Amino acid sequence: MSAAAKTDGPGQLAGRPLEEWNGAYSKVESYFHALRVLNKVLLGQLVALVLERAMQRSASEPLRSATELAVEEMDRLVNDWFAQVLQAPPAATEMLSTRGRMALLLADMPGRWQDQFLRPGPWPEEFVIAMRDGFLRAGPNFQLAQMTPRPLDLGPIATLTHWSTLPYVKMAVTWGAFGLLLVLIFYFTHQ
Amino acid sequence: MMASAPPITQTAAEPAPPLVVSPLPRVRLGWRVFLFYSSAVLLTGLVSMLFADLLWRTGWSLSGVALLCLFVALFFLIALGCMHGVFGFFLRLAYDRRLTNLRDYRAQTIRGVSTALVFPIHNEAVPRVCEGLRATYESLEKAGCLEGFDFYILSDSTDPDKWVEEERRWFELVHGLDALGRVYYRRRVNNEGKKSGNIRDFLSTWGPRYRYFVVFDADSVMRGETLVDLVKLMETHPQVGMVQTVPALVNAGSLFGRIQQFANRLYAPIFITGLNFWAQAFGNYWGHNAIIRTEPFMQHCDLPQLPGRKPFGGQILSHDFVEAALLLRANWEIWMAYDLEGSYEEAPQSMVENARRDRRWCQGNLQHFMVLWARGLRGLSRLHMALGILGYLASPLWLFFLLTFDWMLWYEGHTGLSKITVHAFTPFLSVSATEHAFLIFVICLAVLFLPKVLALVDLAFDKERRRAFGGLANAAGGAVAETAFSALHAPLQMLWHSKFVAATLLASGVQWGPPKRTADGIAWSEAVRQHWAHTVVGLIWGVAIWRLDQPTFWWFTPVMAGMVVSIPLSVFTSRASLGQQARQTGLFLTPEETSPPPELAALRARMAVLEEEGQTSPRAPDSGLADVVLDPYVNAIHVSLLREKRQNPAYARALLDLGAGQPRVRALCEKLLAEGPSELRREEKLLIMSDADQLPWLHRQAWLRPSATLARWWQSQIREYAR
Repeated sequence: MSAAAKTDGPGQLAGRPLEEWNGAYSKVESYFHALRVLNKVLLGQLVALVLERAMQRSASEPLRSATELAVEEMDRLVNDWFAQVLQAPPAATEMLSTRGRMALLLADMPGRWQDQFLRPGPWPEEFVIAMRDGFLRAGPNFQLAQMTPRPLDLGPIATLTHWSTLPYVKMAVTWGAFGLLLVLIFYFTHQ
Repeated sequence: MMASAPPITQTAAEPAPPLVVSPLPRVRLGWRVFLFYSSAVLLTGLVSMLFADLLWRTGWSLSGVALLCLFVALFFLIALGCMHGVFGFFLRLAYDRRLTNLRDYRAQTIRGVSTALVFPIHNEAVPRVCEGLRATYESLEKAGCLEGFDFYILSDSTDPDKWVEEERRWFELVHGLDALGRVYYRRRVNNEGKKSGNIRDFLSTWGPRYRYFVVFDADSVMRGETLVDLVKLMETHPQVGMVQTVPALVNAGSLFGRIQQFANRLYAPIFITGLNFWAQAFGNYWGHNAIIRTEPFMQHCDLPQLPGRKPFGGQILSHDFVEAALLLRANWEIWMAYDLEGSYEEAPQSMVENARRDRRWCQGNLQHFMVLWARGLRGLSRLHMALGILGYLASPLWLFFLLTFDWMLWYEGHTGLSKITVHAFTPFLSVSATEHAFLIFVICLAVLFLPKVLALVDLAFDKERRRAFGGLANAAGGAVAETAFSALHAPLQMLWHSKFVAATLLASGVQWGPPKRTADGIAWSEAVRQHWAHTVVGLIWGVAIWRLDQPTFWWFTPVMAGMVVSIPLSVFTSRASLGQQARQTGLFLTPEETSPPPELAALRARMAVLEEEGQTSPRAPDSGLADVVLDPYVNAIHVSLLREKRQNPAYARALLDLGAGQPRVRALCEKLLAEGPSELRREEKLLIMSDADQLPWLHRQAWLRPSATLARWWQSQIREYAR
């Protein structure tokens, strides 16, 4: 633990109640769970690493919660690590983060390289290649073309389609059907 | 034909493989059509004469004339069905396998030939789609022919949760198969043109890369060897634009599903052989499980919008028949490879789900009335479309027939006129009027059931098939039980189809959401909701006829019985437990059940595992949205796919039109974080999920922001990751 933590009184860590750090621990741990870091030893080490960095900021930023500080540190730590592993040029944090997470997935970090995650370099060459060369492709190169409908002469039936646009045509048809019904009733009852 | 200006304008990138096409002059096969349809006309004419004679014996009337006209139309339809069976039966006896045996295509090499297997989907059960694709992929891999095939999941899903699930499962599939760069996923930004628009979008984006493409349904599976055979067939016969396979219904669990599956497997061979007799190289397209030559399809099959308003105007709904007609119009041949095994699809598992599908098909088929008269179409295309239309019109015609008969019965009773019958017109037919009517009834039954009997005889001649159906006795028992069920089901189909036709003609929609199900089938409440009207109609109709004329009542019992028992019939036939029991007793066995092909066995095994793990159960609402925001990997996959999509000018434009990238999206994201997804409309969620810049931001904010500033829903979702 940090030097700051050692100077605390009972029930406190880095000047804050233990319960507050417990909440921060949970949130950081949840995110690493989401990244499928499932090995408990590694998970514990990573969370402790993040919390230590947060504790170092704790005294200078008393208005911010321990959880806020911890997740910020986690975000920074992860992105800095992505930038180093991927040798990424300066880019928007979100862009780098997306690329890094995709690289982790394609390199199968959760399955093969949990121990390398957030570890300072040098890393195994296979891991570095897998991280840097991984690229998700949802489709091959586009080969764009244009399909154009050929005219279809519908013949005389096309004329019928305009009938429905005539005003009151439905009403006229209904009245016609009613009239026909009357005629039929009259015919069958007057034979 | 090919010399006319090709409407394909290739705009970029890689050269397409060279195409060798040689269109043929128009082929005439009038004598086959004449012989086939004349047989049906002849039979209809003779029996109609007998019917007219019966009416004449009791005196002509206007309603009698109407009844005769309806009889002629209805009998012609069942005579057509009968002729398909009769022709098919004798052709199978003579080992007619003409088309696909023209040349020895199996020696044809397909090296260097590229084929795309496309799976257009729309809010489907994603695990089933992916496992079906996996089964096909592995089968092709086993056949050693994976090289020339690419797979595309073409999503048109509008449900945000489905969208995310599709991406997630696609990645898992690709990862599991090590098929990155062979199995692709694409979701359209909008759903213009529905399924045909989905295919068109695929062709416009990647079409020129492939000489052929095979269209799958969401529940299709195809054997690797069958796919290879299809490509070889196309390579050997350059005049063929499309080969449609005859998919076998498989994987049914419910009693209803197993009955349909059994009927399909037992009767389809003779029917399709009969169909193929008159259609030959002018076959039809059923929308899936077919291989299509890309270039002519792109040149000729882009569907026009029909003039006028819905239901007949606008977009062509049942696109398959029309695409086939357009391909035939351009002198390309369409074959039906009915002798190729290894093509499968699944069927609805209950009467209600079956009717739901019919509702869609009914509108699409009736719309073909507009295309039926289009200039330049081949006569056979018109026949295919007319048969499709009549398939649905038959129901209201039958209803009118029964109502007209009831009217005549009522009129007789109302007027109090006694029945004075005269001798039959045909002097040698010295029977009473009742016997005369019974004779016609028996002929109708014979025409209806003859194809089923012939299918059983056909089975009896084939030792291998006989064994595959669990033996002749089991198959015969199944056929009798299937016929009994059909007799009860047919009146319900009549009422349903009549309603669908009326709704279509009146341009009013029939609202029909997914039916409520229990673990074992349709829920009783759902059955009551769907069938109470059928029951009431059956009861009222039955009582009315009983009061009118009791002897006639017994003639009507088969029709009334189906309606009156519709609720329990619907519930019990939807039950998987009853389907299983029937299977254990050897009823409705099919070849795919007695000896499952490896691809289906693998599919079933995987689906069973997924079901056991609860992966096929519906997830909580907005679970996809939670995944795409909170899960670091799902978010990364989603954003990567969106970024890739922006490389295509058409997609980039569509995303802009949707509103992606506008400041409004950030405001929606803030609202989503602060108030939760329940406060957003589906369109707003889709907009957020379509913005490749906002989603990574949303991911960070959801994790970085203090819990107190997030909606409670987010807090509970984040807690899920703590477990």
